[in-house]
Formats: sequence, C-alpha cells, structure tokens
Amino acid sequence: MAEQHEFWVYSEKPALLAELIAAARSLTEGPLAAVVTGPRTDAETALAQGADKVYWLGETGPERLVDDYIPTLAALITGHKPYGLLIGATRRGKAVAGRLAARLDASAITDVKAFEWADGILTARHLVFGGGAVRVEHAKSALFLATLGKGLYEPLPADASRAGEIVEIPFEAPTRRPRLCEVKPKMGSTVNLAAARRVVCPGRGLAKQEDLKMIDELAQVLEAEIGCTRPLAEGLDWLPRERYIGVSGAFIKPDLYLGIGVSGQVQHTVGLSETRVMVAINKDEHAPLFEQADYGIVGDLYTLVPALTAALKARRS
Amino acid sequence: MNIVVCVKLVPDPEDIEVKADGSISLEKAEWIIGDYDLQAIEAGVQLAEAVGGKVIALSAGPVQINNSKLKKDVLSRGPDELILVVDEALRGADTSMTAQTLRRAVEKLGGIDLVICGEGSADLYFQQVGLQLGERLGWLSLNAISKITALADRLIVERSLEDEVEVLEVDLPAQISVTTDINQSRLPTMKMILMASKKTVTEWSLADLGGVPESRIQVLSVKAPRKAHRKQIRIPGNAEEAAQALVGYLSKDGVI
Repeated sequence: MAEQHEFWVYSEKPALLAELIAAARSLTEGPLAAVVTGPRTDAETALAQGADKVYWLGETGPERLVDDYIPTLAALITGHKPYGLLIGATRRGKAVAGRLAARLDASAITDVKAFEWADGILTARHLVFGGGAVRVEHAKSALFLATLGKGLYEPLPADASRAGEIVEIPFEAPTRRPRLCEVKPKMGSTVNLAAARRVVCPGRGLAKQEDLKMIDELAQVLEAEIGCTRPLAEGLDWLPRERYIGVSGAFIKPDLYLGIGVSGQVQHTVGLSETRVMVAINKDEHAPLFEQADYGIVGDLYTLVPALTAALKARRS
Repeated sequence: MNIVVCVKLVPDPEDIEVKADGSISLEKAEWIIGDYDLQAIEAGVQLAEAVGGKVIALSAGPVQINNSKLKKDVLSRGPDELILVVDEALRGADTSMTAQTLRRAVEKLGGIDLVICGEGSADLYFQQVGLQLGERLGWLSLNAISKITALADRLIVERSLEDEVEVLEVDLPAQISVTTDINQSRLPTMKMILMASKKTVTEWSLADLGGVPESRIQVLSVKAPRKAHRKQIRIPGNAEEAAQALVGYLSKDGVI
C-alpha cells in the first residue's frame, strides 16, 4: 500500500488506542499521530506502539471529562487537516465522533468492520438493517471520520526505543458542559463475551426465569459463558444487558455456540457469524437458526438440556 | 418543559429480501417505528407526565413515512403532536443530512427545552444523529442516558458507559440519546389509540426548512453478508440419544 495520507487515532481507552494505531498503520505509510487524553505515560506508550507523533491533551478528571475536549479536538483537526481520524467505538468515543462530525461538517462511519483502498479512495464496511446487509461507504467530506470497536486489529509489537514527538496541546474550555455529580460502578459488566471460547445462549423458548438454573448447569459443565437474545436482557430483564448478543450488543467469536430456544432472527445472528461450531436446539423445526447451525436438534429444551448436561458430565468422569 | 422526541420510521429489517445476486430489496417491507426509538418516545412522555409540558414527535424521511397507520402508531404512544418532514431527498439520508434536517425543524418549532433520541436507528444504527443534532443546535449533547430526573431548569441524568455510570447535571436546552433499557415502552391502550386520531399532524417538506441539506457519505454498495458455510446436520432420536450424538460430534470437532 503506497498511500501517504496522514492518519490520526483517538481513544480514551489505551488498549483500544493501540489497536487503532495498528489499524491506521495498515491504511497508510504516511504520518500517523495519536491523540491522547490521560497521563503522559499513555502518550509515551502510544509512541512505543507505533505512533509517529502524539498530540497530548493532558489528564482527564471530574472538571475535565472526555466530552469537554470537543473544542480542543476540533481546533486541532482544523489546524492540521489529517486525511483520516479513527476513534475507538466506545460510548464516549461515539459521542466524540458525532459531535466532531457536526462541528467539522463530516459524517462519521461508526462500527467499521473493514477498510479497503479502491483506486485511491478509502472505503469502509458497516452493517445495516440489523445485520441483514453490509454497506460499503466512502466519506465525501475532507475528513474521513470512523469509529472502530475492539478486536479488529492486533496491536503492533511495542518498542520503547521508537523515537517520536509528544506535542502538548493546551485545553480549550467548552462553553457548555455537564457537571459530574458522581461516578457509580456498573453492575454485571465484568463478562467479556467477545473473549469466551464457548457460549450457551438461551432465547425466548425459555418459559421462566427460574429455568436459567438449568442453563447455568449446562454452562458450568461446558465451561461456557452465558449469553442471551435481546428480549431476555431488555424487556424480561432476566440477564444483564452485557450478556446480550446481537447488533446493538456483543459480537462473539467462540469455538462453540449453543442456541437454546433461540429462533435466529438476523439482529441476533449477526453477532454470531464468526462462531466456529454452531448448535441449535429448538422445538420449532422451522426456526431460522437451524439453517445457520452445524448441528440441530428439534425437540423440547426441557428434556434436551438436562440430557445434554448429563451426557457431558458422563464424558468428563 | 417542551420536549421533542425524534423517531425514525424505517422499513422493518425482518422484511428484507435478499436477491439471487446478493443485493437486497426493501420494496415489500412494512414500515415501522424504529425499535430503539420507542424508548425515546416513552422517556419524553414520562418526563412530561412528571413535570408537565408538551411532547412533540418529530420524524424525517421519504414518502413512506407519511402513512396514516404509522402516524397513529406514534401518536397513540403518548406524544401530543407529530411533525413529519417528508421529502424524497431524504431517502437513504446519511446521519449528517438527517441531523441538519432535524436541527432546522427544531429551530422552526422554537422554544424547545429538550430533544430526546433513541440509542440508534433501527435501519442504519450509526448512533450519531442525536449527537450531531445536539452539537448543530449548539446545545449540550449526551448519549447513553439510562435515567432522567427533571428539576426546574435542568436535568440529572445517568450515563451508562462501558464500565461505569456517570451521574451528570445537565443545563437546558439539551439533547440526550437514551439507552434501550431506560424504560419499557407502554403498549397503546384503546383510549390512547382513540385520542391519537384527534391529535395534530403537521407535514413539512425540505423546502419549508430552507432546502436540501448535503449528505457527507457516498454509499457504494449494499449487499447481504456472505453466510458462513454450515453443516446443517439434524440429529434425530430421543433426548438421551440426541444428547449423546451431539457430544460425540462436538468432541470430534474439538470444541469440548
């Protein structure tokens, strides 16, 4: 790739920033700058991880939230005019992308799944219609603004001896800002479904919340994480939202996915496409999930799940 | 408090047809209220119930949104009136074009204290329009709001981030985008459905809002995703036999 365009990357999460540096490096042989909000050590780390230059915006805190950096970021981009800006697709990252897009008259392409140069034009893939279609898009604005989630690019090997410049950028206070009253820990957010090797996923076929105990027993013997479809996390509230797999939830890539009473609507299955082995258990033989499964069992989950748990236990002992 | 709730009316993603060449067709799709916008409507209606005020639903899109069933569906969920910006130029509008259109509509309405959007649109799910709209209005703009408490001239909101929840005090006017778990949207009662037909629907075109805003994204192709090849083996037998057979297959595949 002989592209020489200047790319910038930004994420408030250092681990994601490292992945974005790798993404930008795959897109350009030209200058690559990282924008860092946080301790100066994060700026040094960004250089070691492959950035040629760091624009260091200083440390965040209760009086200086990530959201407060919009005027500083907008002025910096307007002054230097990079070709592309890749932002980590966290909730904060999406807020930064959207507000910058409005200020800079651009349009952020969010949750990009892949990039490609085609005849000197950068294109991005993005899922639309609940995962039912893939759209290839190109930015018409001067700035190519995109957000990327974690897990798409491997960070480059860190090299502490890499030379690079850290440019300190003064903070430009916003005219309006929210005031931070309190930060509360989030409950049930420790699960990392994206990293799970095996996932057991109940759907609407499950009649009541108590039946999750049976699912839990199966998950334990399989050493699997429990995921779920959207109605179980939002609406029924049987499981925390972090366990919901699908277009607005987690994307998983396990060795094994076991859908139990899951019909297989595209909004859910879009999150499963990178699963190695897919299993469907459903009493409805026409459930769409069967078409996407390697193994399907048509039958009552209330007899099949205990039978499967027993068979797995027998195999282990 | 005068509240605008933004609602995207979209072709139902469940009705997408995939053609032989991998292209997709939405011609036969039924148009519905975007799934994620039901919570925005509910949040606006609950807020107005708590502190008083008016809820105006606002939607922009091509001719399909100007459909009496859809209009009634929106209004039966509690908003006092509905503004539709109907224009063919809005078919497939990008987030920039949509945000600019909504901004002009909010400014034309005037006197709005709060704009509430959903987490993302049900068709494109960029999660951008609310933020762009707030910023273009020159207001405070926040996403991922999972709780709203209204005080006289400001809001206390909870913002649900990946690993923490921020409690923030927000001056009005403001724009917020709410999470899908902020509330359970109510099902319209017969009374609400009957009331809906008496409510005002105002239709504007882009010409009424100063012309066609520019889009910032060029769409090169839209295709159905390539499906992974699956074995599609149906395992027969009673529960014990089927479970045994499945364990055998999974063991052979090396995944257990």
